[in-house]
Amino acid sequence: MISTVKTGAPDKSIGQSDKKFRFDSLGLTLAFLALIVMFSLINPRFASYGNLLNVLTQTSTYVIVAMGMTLVITKGGIDLSVGSLMALVTCVAFGLIESGVHYVPALIIMFLLAMTLGALNGAIITFLAVPALIATLGTMVAFRGVALLHSAGKLYFGLPPEVVWLGQGAILGVPVPIYIAAIFILVTHWLFNLSRFGVHVRAVGGNREAARLAGIPVTRIEVAVYTYMGIAVALGGLIWMARIDGTQATLGTAMEIHIIAATIIGGTSLFGGRGSLYGTLIGALLLTMLNNALVIAGVEFFWQLVVVGVIVIAAVTINNIRENRIDWINQLRGRRAANRSKPG
Amino acid sequence: MGGHILEQNLTREASDAALLSARGLNKYYGGLRALRDVDLDIVRGEIIALVGDNGAGKSTLIKTLSGAIVPDGGDIVFDGSSVSFHKPTDAQDVGIETVHQSLGLVDELDVPQNVFLGRELTRKVLGAITVLDKATMRQRTHDLLQNFSIGLPTLNEPVRRLSGGQRQTIAISRLLLAEPQLLIMDEPMAALGVDEGSKVLALVERLREQGITTLIISHNLEHVFSIADRIAVMKNGAMIGVVKTSDVTREDIVSMITIGQA
Ligand SMILES: Nc1ncnc2c1ncn2[C@@H]1O[C@H](COP(=O)(O)OP(=O)(O)O)[C@@H](O)[C@H]1O
Ligand SMILES: [Mg+2]
Repeated sequence: MISTVKTGAPDKSIGQSDKKFRFDSLGLTLAFLALIVMFSLINPRFASYGNLLNVLTQTSTYVIVAMGMTLVITKGGIDLSVGSLMALVTCVAFGLIESGVHYVPALIIMFLLAMTLGALNGAIITFLAVPALIATLGTMVAFRGVALLHSAGKLYFGLPPEVVWLGQGAILGVPVPIYIAAIFILVTHWLFNLSRFGVHVRAVGGNREAARLAGIPVTRIEVAVYTYMGIAVALGGLIWMARIDGTQATLGTAMEIHIIAATIIGGTSLFGGRGSLYGTLIGALLLTMLNNALVIAGVEFFWQLVVVGVIVIAAVTINNIRENRIDWINQLRGRRAANRSKPG
Repeated sequence: MGGHILEQNLTREASDAALLSARGLNKYYGGLRALRDVDLDIVRGEIIALVGDNGAGKSTLIKTLSGAIVPDGGDIVFDGSSVSFHKPTDAQDVGIETVHQSLGLVDELDVPQNVFLGRELTRKVLGAITVLDKATMRQRTHDLLQNFSIGLPTLNEPVRRLSGGQRQTIAISRLLLAEPQLLIMDEPMAALGVDEGSKVLALVERLREQGITTLIISHNLEHVFSIADRIAVMKNGAMIGVVKTSDVTREDIVSMITIGQA
């Protein structure tokens, strides 16, 4: 028998959030706190206010791009082209500023270019029915090619102080990138969790046909999500180039794997329909901290790549086990349950 | 309403009382002809059942009436005016709401999100920012389901974790939000237990009292005979005939379904 929704008395379930979800993010938060405690015990300086700000500043570009990636993956897509796109648009912006264009129109062009190329990804996927993995693999290589052609191997440096301030400045002792990331997280939170658009993104990712039948403009949502990804890449790139006051065509190589890792560790489902911005934030912080620790421990950069690769596969595997997606594990579980229920 | 409108064989001209008249609908899936010159009149205020074997074309027919697919030929007149549906919202805009066989639910979304999918309510905060009105949607979902007398343990679960009957309930409640003129249901009782099935039947009858016309596909002749005013029979993509329920026996319908003769 199914129990009925209670009537009369105020419904306790109203306003209450999903318990499973709360548990998931609790697990992640605990892992995060455990790592902080561990690192602090190994190196007491780790827990200092200064280092905390440092970690947050380092993470800001990744968090911003990963916010966009959370929308993309929840929509049932993926974007491998984020690193190349960042290289391309930062090189274009630098090139314009170097050739004497004022930084304001140069940055506007940078954002418009990133949005257009993001929308191009979305259009290839939705109008040409090219799987997102292949479409963005193609643009990943193509954007990188254009960046290399445009910069001709040049190292750009020397931004106007106003732009450098966006990466290196501070307000009330807190670095500007942290404010920018915080504002972008809030805007994305509104878009993804509080607006109709967010529900439609989950619907398209969860059940495209149902979304279509419900009158949701599926193709428009798809293009919009990748356009937003473009904005995230431009903003993340702006902070990056301002922090190091420079860029080059090889910027952001292997960035996509870090971004996808942060998103998936945070519990966003590669199968679409489910995503968590909070999880992505924690995931991105976890990865930065881990990278920090590896650097301090003197581990070579190439080993860091190995570690991130393993983490991505492990995170997806853990998700799969939780969602009963692995056949042979399901069979083992079934057999064990059957044995347990056998009498005697 | 006079009995004369429930005639056994409606003429090819749309009757004045018809809420919907379809003429000469055709649909091809590659070489397969899923609809063959199908005519159908749905009378205002009636419950009309659509029956036929698997693959007869029932789902295809209702998809053309609900804008889910575009027919390869034929005309539809709804509420006195000629209509052509290119997408589901075209049909919804004139007052046709449909529960498809696939239910059209998004597993990862919770109950209110599914009920309000595509027509979410919003409110303004700080005078400028539009946000989802989650509290109102949850309350209205709660009220809708209460009408239904099929309960849910909680509204906050992703519908993935709910039973077939609960999912069906949500799919039907979705439609009632829009206060439709014509309700189309594709095998709504198929996934339900006996108890839940009879609750859905009772609901359909209650909706008729509120003036909602219903086209319902069902395999269960017991259900069909208990609620339908008329029965339309399809076979191999063609409309075999439309009969008044009170004029026929179950054996008549079974032979129409299997032999294809009225
Ligand atoms: N999307 C489709 N593509 C190809 N053939 C289809 C499609 N949908 C239905 N059909 C075919 O059209 C015929 C009618 O199907 P359908 O309308 O679903 O029948 P019913 O609902 O009466 O069981 C069947 O032969 C079915 O296989
Ligand atoms: Mg069917």
